[in-house]
Amino acid sequence: MKVAVVGMGKMGIVHSCVLHVIPEVEVVGLCEKSRLVRRFVKKIFTKVDIVDDVEKLAGLGLDAVYVTTPIPSHYQIIKAIYTKKVARNVFVEKTLSNSYEEATELCSLARRYGGVNMVGYLRRFYVTFRKAKELLLGGALGELLSFDVHAFSSDFFGMKQETPSSSARGGVLRDLGCHALDLALWYFGDLKIELDSAKSLNSGSQNDILRFRGSSPTGLTGSFQVSWCIEGFRMPEVGISIVGAKGRLEVNDDLVRFSPNRRRESVLYRHDLNDNVPFWLGLPEYYREDVHFVEAVTLATRIEPDFASASKIDKMIAQVEKLGGLNG
Amino acid sequence: MGKQTDPDYAAGLIGTAVENGANGFLFSVSDITLAILRELKKRDSIDGMALYPIVPYAYEYVRLATQVGGMPGLAKVFAKRLVSSGCFRVMARGLNGVLRANPSSLLKAYLAYELNRVEAAAGKEAEVKSIILHEVVVDVALALKMEWFFREYWSFTVKRSLFPGFNTCNFALLVRQLNDWHFSLDDVVIAAPFNKIGFQMNPTKQACEEALCSLPAPGLVAISVLAGGYLKLPEAVDYIAGLSNVKGVAIGISKEEHARQTFKLINDQLS
Repeated sequence: MKVAVVGMGKMGIVHSCVLHVIPEVEVVGLCEKSRLVRRFVKKIFTKVDIVDDVEKLAGLGLDAVYVTTPIPSHYQIIKAIYTKKVARNVFVEKTLSNSYEEATELCSLARRYGGVNMVGYLRRFYVTFRKAKELLLGGALGELLSFDVHAFSSDFFGMKQETPSSSARGGVLRDLGCHALDLALWYFGDLKIELDSAKSLNSGSQNDILRFRGSSPTGLTGSFQVSWCIEGFRMPEVGISIVGAKGRLEVNDDLVRFSPNRRRESVLYRHDLNDNVPFWLGLPEYYREDVHFVEAVTLATRIEPDFASASKIDKMIAQVEKLGGLNG
Repeated sequence: MGKQTDPDYAAGLIGTAVENGANGFLFSVSDITLAILRELKKRDSIDGMALYPIVPYAYEYVRLATQVGGMPGLAKVFAKRLVSSGCFRVMARGLNGVLRANPSSLLKAYLAYELNRVEAAAGKEAEVKSIILHEVVVDVALALKMEWFFREYWSFTVKRSLFPGFNTCNFALLVRQLNDWHFSLDDVVIAAPFNKIGFQMNPTKQACEEALCSLPAPGLVAISVLAGGYLKLPEAVDYIAGLSNVKGVAIGISKEEHARQTFKLINDQLS
């Protein structure tokens, strides 16, 4: 399977490397706008075509393209991949796009051109979040009553002014909060969003702390808290607490705690859930995620989270942005 | 600032660890750890202590890349740091690396820069045993089968009488690949997760243990031996004691009492 990666930032490097070790995959093309980065990449990725424009990847006979550029560029790049017939199968790092309108258009393009499409919501590949999904599917909590979700990082903790990279990352909701929304969507289905509060810590155009609520058509309600300015999070963390008729479930990056009513709670850590992978780069989830996509392309089967699911997250983000006045 | 990041407190902890049998310090090179080295030097506690700096301090560089606009922004920050190092050779190599887009020159400039920082902070009495490459760098180079990278790094360390050192989460693959490239693993330091439950031992615990047995001499510095707090110290140490080719064990400590108990037990069981 021939693959190209667009964007040679952190995520582009991670996916290029992981793809290199998956036996069925051959990374044959890379695309990067920065001349400086391209010059270095040429020395490191030998035997790979390196171009400065995604359209130049056409003609490489690609089976799939990974898009790992900043969020605001996703729409134009994916559109070019489909319309210039660069490849039929597309993986894009979260979020699908920079707006719900663009996301909807990308869904239409994906339907028109066929192929497998996937958005890189990594938390779905954490062993803890997978275990929680399994428990929910098995009805361990009974009827779901309420939930609380948080997504915190220290990425911009202590920053006195807004930086260009906070905009390039699409704001806190697209960059970090989207994981909370994706997990909520995965666990609970469609949610209607209402904003509680939105705050910028440096009077910039971006929100840094957001609080909002979600409610499902079945009456399930819950709250979200998102910030990238919280002290003490060396790594970003996403966590969910769910209350059901039969008990309570807490899950985060490291553990799943299940507390059935009137019975002893049980805690499963990453360690208990077979977290090892054939190749580990940064996190084990990248390997699982890439294998998931590669297998789907090989078998030509639809997978989750695809563009259609991911566009729902863009819709929820748009709802918060509309209510909050500032960018995500 | 947390207590553990206070150089005075951290130097005290290291002192306690040494009194109880620790003989080395494995650390990521950052402003905080350099301040700790300066404090240890001030207290005359650094003589004979084996230093194992890990570079780059990935967390800091990822955070920096976030704030300065990705790889190009990071390259500019790094260039400024090389210039401000004041070392002509480092600057020349760094400049050559950037102008000719030569990763090999940049690698050497970077290693020299970090080594200078450690030596300047720790003083001449300190014994820098290796300059260990962080897992992010090692595992990228491993994925891309960058033999030239390993050779350049190897020659840099050997020229300075340092052990080639690698931090990895793919121990079995690293050992196999280095063997395939015919590197001599007699004098190498590999810092990798080894623990009773196989946590972070990729692809499997068994594969890592077999790779360890295949080393020609002790080369493993076991990390994550407590599996991130999942295991109790006695059972963790018991497992390590049963392995061959272990050069050392690295355990993080945050309290005096913790330092005393941990290193006394390790010293009793592993020495």
